[in-house]
Amino acid sequence: MLKILVVCGAGLGSSFACQMSVESVLQDIGVEADLDHSDIASAAGTRADIIISGKNFESQFQRYDLPMDLIFLDRLVDKTEIEEKLVPVLKAKGAL
Amino acid sequence: MKEIYFTEENVAFNVEAIDWEDAIYKSVALLKKNGLVNEHYAQEVVNNVKEYGPYIVLAPGIAIPHTRPENGALKVGMSLITLKRPVYFNDTSAPVKVLISFSATDSEKHLNIIKIIVKIVEKGLIDQISQINSLFDLNDLIRGEQP
Repeated sequence: MLKILVVCGAGLGSSFACQMSVESVLQDIGVEADLDHSDIASAAGTRADIIISGKNFESQFQRYDLPMDLIFLDRLVDKTEIEEKLVPVLKAKGAL
Repeated sequence: MKEIYFTEENVAFNVEAIDWEDAIYKSVALLKKNGLVNEHYAQEVVNNVKEYGPYIVLAPGIAIPHTRPENGALKVGMSLITLKRPVYFNDTSAPVKVLISFSATDSEKHLNIIKIIVKIVEKGLIDQISQINSLFDLNDLIRGEQP
Protein backbone atom coordinates (compact mmCIF):
# COMPACT_ATOMS: atom_id res chain seq x y z
CA MET A 1 0.00 0.00 0.00
CA LEU A 2 1.02 3.59 -0.62
CA LYS A 3 2.90 4.90 2.39
CA ILE A 4 2.72 8.57 3.34
CA LEU A 5 4.88 10.05 6.08
CA VAL A 6 4.06 13.44 7.62
CA VAL A 7 7.05 15.19 9.16
CA CYS A 8 7.63 18.08 11.58
CA GLY A 9 10.26 19.17 14.09
CA ALA A 10 9.24 16.95 16.99
CA GLY A 11 7.08 14.46 15.13
CA LEU A 12 4.28 14.76 17.64
CA GLY A 13 2.12 17.82 17.12
CA SER A 14 2.16 19.57 13.79
CA SER A 15 2.85 16.34 11.89
CA PHE A 16 0.15 14.45 13.80
CA ALA A 17 -2.36 17.24 13.15
CA CYS A 18 -1.37 17.36 9.48
CA GLN A 19 -1.75 13.57 9.26
CA MET A 20 -5.39 13.92 10.37
CA SER A 21 -6.09 16.48 7.69
CA VAL A 22 -4.35 14.30 5.08
CA GLU A 23 -6.44 11.31 6.22
CA SER A 24 -9.61 13.25 5.77
CA VAL A 25 -8.55 14.46 2.29
CA LEU A 26 -7.71 10.89 1.25
CA GLN A 27 -11.10 9.74 2.50
CA ASP A 28 -12.79 12.46 0.45
CA ILE A 29 -11.01 11.47 -2.75
CA GLY A 30 -11.26 7.72 -2.06
CA VAL A 31 -7.58 6.81 -1.85
CA GLU A 32 -6.29 4.27 0.67
CA ALA A 33 -2.85 4.80 2.14
CA ASP A 34 -0.77 3.87 5.13
CA LEU A 35 -0.11 7.07 7.10
CA ASP A 36 2.36 7.87 9.84
CA HIS A 37 4.08 10.88 11.41
CA SER A 38 7.65 11.41 12.56
CA ASP A 39 10.31 13.98 13.40
CA ILE A 40 12.68 15.27 10.77
CA ALA A 41 15.74 13.57 12.28
CA SER A 42 14.27 10.10 11.74
CA ALA A 43 12.37 10.91 8.52
CA ALA A 44 15.36 10.41 6.23
CA GLY A 45 15.75 6.80 7.32
CA THR A 46 12.07 5.91 7.00
CA ARG A 47 10.65 4.14 3.98
CA ALA A 48 7.77 6.08 2.42
CA ASP A 49 6.41 6.83 -1.04
CA ILE A 50 5.45 10.39 -0.22
CA ILE A 51 6.68 12.74 2.50
CA ILE A 52 4.54 15.73 3.49
CA SER A 53 6.03 18.51 5.61
CA GLY A 54 5.97 22.23 6.33
CA LYS A 55 7.57 24.85 4.04
CA ASN A 56 10.09 25.68 6.76
CA PHE A 57 11.65 22.21 6.35
CA GLU A 58 12.14 22.41 2.58
CA SER A 59 15.82 23.38 2.69
CA GLN A 60 16.63 20.66 5.23
CA PHE A 61 14.99 17.99 3.07
CA GLN A 62 16.90 19.11 0.01
CA ARG A 63 20.12 18.38 1.84
CA TYR A 64 19.04 14.76 2.37
CA ASP A 65 18.53 14.15 -1.38
CA LEU A 66 15.66 11.69 -0.85
CA PRO A 67 14.18 9.49 -3.61
CA MET A 68 10.49 9.86 -2.63
CA ASP A 69 8.03 12.56 -3.63
CA LEU A 70 8.15 15.56 -1.30
CA ILE A 71 5.25 17.91 -0.65
CA PHE A 72 5.70 21.12 1.35
CA LEU A 73 2.74 22.95 2.85
CA ASP A 74 2.28 26.56 3.90
CA ARG A 75 -0.57 25.53 6.16
CA LEU A 76 -0.35 22.06 7.67
CA VAL A 77 -4.04 21.59 8.39
CA ASP A 78 -5.43 23.32 5.29
CA LYS A 79 -7.34 20.58 3.44
CA THR A 80 -7.66 22.67 0.29
CA GLU A 81 -3.90 23.13 0.03
CA ILE A 82 -3.28 19.46 0.89
CA GLU A 83 -5.66 18.28 -1.82
CA GLU A 84 -4.22 20.73 -4.38
CA LYS A 85 -0.66 19.49 -3.84
CA LEU A 86 -1.36 15.82 -3.15
CA VAL A 87 -3.70 14.99 -6.04
CA PRO A 88 -1.12 15.55 -8.84
CA VAL A 89 1.39 13.33 -6.99
CA LEU A 90 -1.19 10.58 -6.48
CA LYS A 91 -2.14 10.77 -10.16
CA ALA A 92 1.49 10.52 -11.23
CA LYS A 93 1.85 7.46 -9.04
CA GLY A 94 -1.28 5.88 -10.51
CA ALA A 95 -2.98 5.86 -7.13
CA LEU A 96 -5.79 8.08 -8.36
CA MET B 1 -10.30 12.16 28.71
CA LYS B 2 -9.63 14.61 31.51
CA GLU B 3 -6.43 15.91 29.93
CA ILE B 4 -8.39 17.72 27.25
CA TYR B 5 -10.58 19.84 29.53
CA PHE B 6 -9.78 23.46 30.08
CA THR B 7 -9.78 24.47 33.76
CA GLU B 8 -8.55 27.35 35.91
CA GLU B 9 -5.35 25.34 36.32
CA ASN B 10 -4.39 25.17 32.64
CA VAL B 11 -5.82 28.33 31.06
CA ALA B 12 -4.76 32.02 31.21
CA PHE B 13 -6.32 34.90 29.27
CA ASN B 14 -4.71 38.12 28.00
CA VAL B 15 -1.20 37.16 28.99
CA GLU B 16 1.49 39.77 28.32
CA ALA B 17 4.44 38.47 26.32
CA ILE B 18 7.26 40.56 24.88
CA ASP B 19 8.13 38.14 22.06
CA TRP B 20 7.60 34.57 20.84
CA GLU B 21 10.12 33.11 23.27
CA ASP B 22 8.45 34.81 26.21
CA ALA B 23 5.06 33.56 24.96
CA ILE B 24 6.38 29.97 24.84
CA TYR B 25 7.77 30.27 28.37
CA LYS B 26 4.48 31.62 29.72
CA SER B 27 2.44 28.96 27.94
CA VAL B 28 4.68 26.07 29.02
CA ALA B 29 4.76 27.46 32.60
CA LEU B 30 1.18 26.20 33.00
CA LEU B 31 2.27 22.67 32.02
CA LYS B 32 5.10 22.89 34.54
CA LYS B 33 2.81 24.19 37.28
CA ASN B 34 0.59 21.14 36.77
CA GLY B 35 3.49 18.70 36.97
CA LEU B 36 3.27 17.68 33.29
CA VAL B 37 6.80 18.76 32.29
CA ASN B 38 10.06 19.54 34.04
CA GLU B 39 11.99 22.83 34.14
CA HIS B 40 13.89 22.12 30.90
CA TYR B 41 10.88 21.65 28.60
CA ALA B 42 10.28 25.31 27.71
CA GLN B 43 13.92 25.90 26.76
CA GLU B 44 13.88 22.72 24.65
CA VAL B 45 10.82 24.01 22.76
CA VAL B 46 12.60 27.32 22.11
CA ASN B 47 15.75 25.49 20.98
CA ASN B 48 13.73 23.33 18.58
CA VAL B 49 12.06 26.37 17.02
CA LYS B 50 15.46 28.04 16.60
CA GLU B 51 16.82 24.90 14.95
CA TYR B 52 13.87 23.96 12.70
CA GLY B 53 11.94 27.17 12.20
CA PRO B 54 8.44 27.91 13.47
CA TYR B 55 6.95 24.45 12.94
CA ILE B 56 4.80 24.95 16.04
CA VAL B 57 2.78 27.65 14.24
CA LEU B 58 0.08 25.30 13.02
CA ALA B 59 -2.16 27.84 11.31
CA PRO B 60 -2.47 31.63 11.25
CA GLY B 61 -3.02 32.83 14.84
CA ILE B 62 -2.15 29.64 16.69
CA ALA B 63 1.05 28.04 17.95
CA ILE B 64 1.25 24.67 19.68
CA PRO B 65 4.49 24.66 21.72
CA HIS B 66 5.73 21.10 22.29
CA THR B 67 8.88 19.03 21.99
CA ARG B 68 9.98 15.39 22.20
CA PRO B 69 9.02 13.34 25.29
CA GLU B 70 12.69 12.92 26.23
CA ASN B 71 13.10 16.70 26.43
CA GLY B 72 11.29 16.93 29.75
CA ALA B 73 7.73 15.62 29.38
CA LEU B 74 6.43 13.82 32.48
CA LYS B 75 2.73 13.24 31.70
CA VAL B 76 0.31 13.87 28.84
CA GLY B 77 -1.52 17.18 29.12
CA MET B 78 -2.17 20.63 27.68
CA SER B 79 -2.56 24.33 28.47
CA LEU B 80 -4.07 27.30 26.66
CA ILE B 81 -3.14 30.97 26.83
CA THR B 82 -4.39 33.95 24.87
CA LEU B 83 -2.08 36.94 24.40
CA LYS B 84 -2.86 40.55 25.15
CA ARG B 85 -0.76 41.52 22.14
CA PRO B 86 0.09 39.03 19.38
CA VAL B 87 3.68 37.86 18.80
CA TYR B 88 5.51 37.10 15.56
CA PHE B 89 7.57 33.96 14.98
CA ASN B 90 10.61 34.47 12.74
CA ASP B 91 9.50 34.59 9.11
CA THR B 92 5.81 33.72 9.48
CA SER B 93 3.60 36.55 8.44
CA ALA B 94 0.60 35.77 10.61
CA PRO B 95 0.73 36.97 14.23
CA VAL B 96 0.06 34.37 16.93
CA LYS B 97 -2.67 35.15 19.46
CA VAL B 98 -3.42 31.75 20.96
CA LEU B 99 -0.92 29.20 22.30
CA ILE B 100 -1.91 25.64 23.14
CA SER B 101 1.09 23.90 24.70
CA PHE B 102 1.10 20.20 25.25
CA SER B 103 3.28 17.40 26.53
CA ALA B 104 3.44 13.89 25.08
CA THR B 105 5.03 10.75 26.47
CA ASP B 106 5.02 8.76 23.23
CA SER B 107 3.81 9.30 19.66
CA GLU B 108 0.18 8.24 20.23
CA LYS B 109 -1.19 8.88 23.74
CA HIS B 110 -1.85 12.58 23.12
CA LEU B 111 -4.12 11.78 20.15
CA ASN B 112 -7.15 13.43 21.75
CA ILE B 113 -5.24 16.65 22.34
CA ILE B 114 -4.25 16.81 18.66
CA LYS B 115 -7.83 16.03 17.64
CA ILE B 116 -9.19 18.96 19.60
CA ILE B 117 -6.48 21.28 18.24
CA VAL B 118 -7.27 20.22 14.65
CA LYS B 119 -10.98 20.76 15.20
CA ILE B 120 -10.39 24.22 16.68
CA VAL B 121 -8.32 25.14 13.62
CA GLU B 122 -10.60 23.53 11.02
CA LYS B 123 -13.71 25.16 12.51
CA GLY B 124 -11.95 28.55 12.44
CA LEU B 125 -12.33 29.19 16.18
CA ILE B 126 -8.93 30.86 16.74
CA ASP B 127 -10.15 34.44 16.43
CA GLN B 128 -13.07 33.77 18.75
CA ILE B 129 -10.83 32.10 21.32
CA SER B 130 -8.38 35.00 21.19
CA GLN B 131 -11.18 37.36 22.26
CA ILE B 132 -12.57 35.22 25.07
CA ASN B 133 -12.10 36.32 28.68
CA SER B 134 -13.75 33.58 30.66
CA LEU B 135 -13.29 29.87 31.16
CA PHE B 136 -17.04 29.37 30.88
CA ASP B 137 -17.12 30.98 27.43
CA LEU B 138 -14.06 28.98 26.33
CA ASN B 139 -15.52 25.63 27.33
CA ASP B 140 -18.88 26.64 25.90
CA LEU B 141 -17.23 27.39 22.54
CA ILE B 142 -15.16 24.19 22.59
CA ARG B 143 -17.81 21.89 24.07
CA GLY B 144 -19.27 21.02 20.70
CA GLU B 145 -15.77 20.21 19.47
CA GLN B 146 -14.78 17.53 21.99
CA PRO B 147 -13.68 14.36 20.20
